[in-house]
Amino acid sequence: MRLVSAELLKLRTTRLLLWLGLLILGLEVLVIALHVSQNSVSELAQARSQRDVVSIAAVSALISLILGIVASAGEFANGTIGHTFLVAPVRERVAAAKLVAVAFAGAVLAFAACVFAWALAALLLKARSVPVHLGSGSSLRLVAGIVLAAAIAGALGVGYGSLLRRQTAAIVVALVWLLVGEPLLGIASADPYGPGRVIASVVEAGNQGSELLSFDRGLVLALIYLAVAGVLGTLAFRRADIT
Amino acid sequence: MPEAPPLEVRGLTKRFGSTTAVDELSFAIEPGRITGFLGPNGAGKTTTLRMLLGLVHPSAGQALVRGVPYRKLDDPVRTVGAVLEASSFHPARSGRNHLRVVATAAGIPRERVDATLELVELSDTARRRVRTYSLGMRQRLSVAAALLGDPQLLVLDEPANGLDPEGIRWLRNFLRSFAGGGGTVFISSHVLGEIAQLADEVVIIHKARLVAHEPLAALTARTAGGTIVRSPDANRLREQLAAGGIEATSGEDGELRVAAPPERVGEAAAAAGIVLHELRAESASLEEAFLELTGGDE
Ligand SMILES: Nc1ncnc2c1ncn2[C@@H]1O[C@H](COP(=O)(O)OP(=O)(O)OP(=O)(O)O)[C@@H](O)[C@H]1O
Ligand SMILES: [Mg+2]
Repeated sequence: MRLVSAELLKLRTTRLLLWLGLLILGLEVLVIALHVSQNSVSELAQARSQRDVVSIAAVSALISLILGIVASAGEFANGTIGHTFLVAPVRERVAAAKLVAVAFAGAVLAFAACVFAWALAALLLKARSVPVHLGSGSSLRLVAGIVLAAAIAGALGVGYGSLLRRQTAAIVVALVWLLVGEPLLGIASADPYGPGRVIASVVEAGNQGSELLSFDRGLVLALIYLAVAGVLGTLAFRRADIT
Repeated sequence: MPEAPPLEVRGLTKRFGSTTAVDELSFAIEPGRITGFLGPNGAGKTTTLRMLLGLVHPSAGQALVRGVPYRKLDDPVRTVGAVLEASSFHPARSGRNHLRVVATAAGIPRERVDATLELVELSDTARRRVRTYSLGMRQRLSVAAALLGDPQLLVLDEPANGLDPEGIRWLRNFLRSFAGGGGTVFISSHVLGEIAQLADEVVIIHKARLVAHEPLAALTARTAGGTIVRSPDANRLREQLAAGGIEATSGEDGELRVAAPPERVGEAAAAAGIVLHELRAESASLEEAFLELTGGDE
């Protein structure tokens, strides 16, 4: 518990959360403003379309992944990992604390992103005199899905970052994988099983089209990915020589 | 069971690929004393200390703190305070927040953070981001982190690097009073001079191996031992000394270099009624003794 608080304190005492938060806000403002201004009133009036506007908040799952990478690999980049292991030499505990702390921070970030996206969408829709249907069950499920996905992505980022231990490389590899690697899985029709798509299926929370796994199967697979990354990352943590 | 030594290594070995950084090192340090850990650059000091602190895994042998591996300590931060070499902090985090993180993880009350900052005279700068600190300020922050748990044992890796003369004096006085209060200090350096004014004992390593573990006085004696003597009867003096088990070699101008203090040489000469023209202590510095121990084969 003390280690989890310490990890949360670490996250709060750099500007990282602030910047990542601003990044999410900026994206949301851009995408939501474009969506509301470009579509016709009749289209915007559909609950489905309004829900899609808010789904931009799902970007917080990606941001959460980056947060996880920075929380783990970043400590090696900054050389602060030595201090961390001096206080808590049983490294498995550090790894577990990081997983929990980043999952929590990612979930909070995602929730804030959803609230902001929801409020902004409502405001802009009202401005165009569109009736607002954002309280629908499917919108609420979307928020739950995004928060859950961000928590999983954050923890996944910790495991993966501990495994690579090189912050910049880990972030670049993750982005390239999501943009290029995962679509290539489509050649083998394996694309719904890539970690990125699996997390997307958690986000969609039962609203997915045919190209994604169902929520249940997606969630199970996401947790399996998380467990594998967590175990491998912890083992890598244990083995590392901090020189 | 006798109390375990504060720090002990047994057959400690570390290989990085084909480099052997530490080779079969064994020694134990005494409680309540300041022990210097000396060796030239690359001798393996940092690697040894990091194995003692559980940061580097030994390839063989054991590194023990109070008889157990660091990882097994119940409360590491309250047992041993560590100042790592070239310690790095998150550049965007303030010094005070760094200490708060350590305190939170170790369950140390927050008031202790400010008290420790006071102790290392860093209170004024503590709220600034570490990015803006001078090397000396970072060193003090490292010392503060080491003291946070109020441990009885301090391990410091080249703590004087980056400190100005004032800072070095401050550190020396601090460590003396720490040891005076019963604390144990293990401090590494590649400069003997820094340690000579501070340590009670020295552990010297060179090329990954132990070359000496002795009281500082013994290291001093190695240098104080030499004598230069001139006598018209040099050959008889040499025989006389040899009979007493003291070795003497001929130097230039009929001088003899004797591996014993001047008193002994004078007494031996007087006992045999040998006339001396000159008798003086060979003036070698501690630094030379150190170099002789560590650089002899180069
Ligand atoms: N991570 C590493 N990978 C490979 N070799 C290493 C590593 N760390 C240390 N070494 C090697 O181990 C040897 C001992 O290094 P170490 O840092 O322990 O020396 P040191 O006595 O602390 O030197 P200095 O006085 O310069 O601090 C050196 O030859 C160094 O190159
Ligand atoms: Mg060193």
